[in-house]
Amino acid sequence: MKIKETIREFISKNSSFILTVPAVLWQVLFLYVPLVLVIFISLQRVADSSLFDVTFSHYVTLFNIAYLYIIARSAFVALCVTFFCLILAYPVAYFLALRVDSRWKNGLLFLLTLPFWTNFLIQIYSWVFVLDYNGLINTALLKMGVIQEPLHMINNMYAIIVVMIYYYLPFMMMPLYSILEKIQHDMLEASMDLGATHWQTFKRITIPLSMSGVKTGVFLVFVPAFGEFAIPAIIGGGQQMFVGSLVSHYFLAARDNQLGAAFTMLSGFVLLICALLFNWWCKVPLQAIQKEVE
Amino acid sequence: MREICFQNVTKRYNGEIIVDNLSLTIPGGTFFALLGPSGSGKTTLLRLIAGLEQVDSGSIFLGDEDITHMPIYQRRVNTVFQNYALFPHMDVFDNVAYSLSISNVPENVIEEKVVKILKTVGLDKHIYKSINNLSGGQKQRVALARAVINEPDVLLLDEPLAALDLKLREKMLIELIDLQATLKTTFVYVTHDQFEALTVADHMAIMNDDGEIEQVGTPKEIYEFPVSTFVAAFVGTTNLLKGVLHVNDGAYKIEFPGLGIFDVVGSKEKEWMRNGNTIFMSIRPEKIEISKTPMTGFSNELQATVQSIVYHGRSTQYNVRLQNGEVIQVFEQNEEHFPQEIIDYDDHVFLYWQKENVVLLEK
Repeated sequence: MKIKETIREFISKNSSFILTVPAVLWQVLFLYVPLVLVIFISLQRVADSSLFDVTFSHYVTLFNIAYLYIIARSAFVALCVTFFCLILAYPVAYFLALRVDSRWKNGLLFLLTLPFWTNFLIQIYSWVFVLDYNGLINTALLKMGVIQEPLHMINNMYAIIVVMIYYYLPFMMMPLYSILEKIQHDMLEASMDLGATHWQTFKRITIPLSMSGVKTGVFLVFVPAFGEFAIPAIIGGGQQMFVGSLVSHYFLAARDNQLGAAFTMLSGFVLLICALLFNWWCKVPLQAIQKEVE
Repeated sequence: MREICFQNVTKRYNGEIIVDNLSLTIPGGTFFALLGPSGSGKTTLLRLIAGLEQVDSGSIFLGDEDITHMPIYQRRVNTVFQNYALFPHMDVFDNVAYSLSISNVPENVIEEKVVKILKTVGLDKHIYKSINNLSGGQKQRVALARAVINEPDVLLLDEPLAALDLKLREKMLIELIDLQATLKTTFVYVTHDQFEALTVADHMAIMNDDGEIEQVGTPKEIYEFPVSTFVAAFVGTTNLLKGVLHVNDGAYKIEFPGLGIFDVVGSKEKEWMRNGNTIFMSIRPEKIEISKTPMTGFSNELQATVQSIVYHGRSTQYNVRLQNGEVIQVFEQNEEHFPQEIIDYDDHVFLYWQKENVVLLEK
């Protein structure tokens, strides 16, 4: 009886903690344990050597301009995609959150989430039919007589960036919308009342108050875009290596798990540096930028 | 100080008329209260002055200057918002300094002015506190300081004390009066609370449910000489009795069915004070004497039965039933710990009043 009582008491006291256990366990088992495994594999000499036979030779191999170039290229593409997503999404989120009549809001929000209802591969493959040599755009332009020769629009970096912007735009829009919607209208009115123009109000009130949404959106886009594998493969035709494609190459094609793991760790490290830099940028120089603009 | 003048202003919201052809002059340098029930359009008037709303027709002047279509940020008018609308990402200093830093005032001047104004509102110890760590009263003071630092011609206050508790509200009212006296800025104070309006205002306007101005005047004029039953009932407490006017040789009397005929003071100049007209008499509860024994020296007398008694502390409210079944209120000051005469439920009482202390109303 006593034990039963104790257990019951423990459960009732810690119920909110106990409810976190399944998710935490899931994360630990399928994220943290594999992460540790990847670290171990990256330090393995060869596939069947013991876990304690540690070497940094794979990392040394990676310290090569070709690999660093791939990481830099991925980072550049991810940066471009994030930047354009932010620039394109902010006005839409702003308009939707602060200007649109509440009657229309739900319908327009539904239109925004519509891409999530469609299969990822269908979304991406349909771009092939648009950009292809005999694709929609080329056919139309040829028919209209605008061009004589089909344009080369696919299998290059621009196409990859365009399609990635298309795919990641909603991921930027959502957090921006939800943070901008929370901004109270009288905050903006108070600013104008105190003599600030629309632009000054936007700069000094709206942007700072929406910064946490910008942060979330940037992470939601930059992190997966950095490791993106499918879009470069389908739209880029696998002609240029990206972080994602190289990782998949090592693990699936070359079967060099050790080098693949080391490369995964290295690119993860770069990602972490980017995140820390961005975090710092959000905090410190924002005010400096504001001052400069004035 | 420049006056604010509404000329034939009309404002609609989604086709519904909020303010219709309204004209009103708010004298410069005064503490002006706009008093009215919720939804009477008083906040709309405030937002029109601030530039937060645009008129559909008519014009608004600040002194000689037509500000009807002037952008909000160019008007020398600042607002204290109902829920303060302080900027959460800034501390007290930056909030108060906002309007100055917008107009590129040198930093040493800003600092001097901010410190000075924060001293005035008693917040100089909290200059660098975060907005989120302030109490309701402190937020209120930051909002005030932020609005007056740039020395606007007009300060608009939209029910600024609604979120504060009674004691603090009373204290803030006195502080607002002092602040207005110091700054000499025109204060326009919107409220639905007649107590607040009577306390702070030099002049006030009463708005009714249709967005019309019923009466403009000093608090005393409004309270003692209301021009309509709406004003009489909305500002303070009153008893409204409907009766027929008798005019005989310049002597005015009013007859209430089932109660008799009573002396009133009338005026020939008022169109509607004609013999036989049905009008209203407004009599404030504190202007009636109540007694169990007959008294002399009053121009009017009524008999009634005590129906219920409500003890308010400083005064006692008697709800008494007249002979025609109508129930009216009578207030009596609680001047003594042990009054000689104790009035109880169901007691038969005499009510007395002087004819000069009632107001006759057309509608």
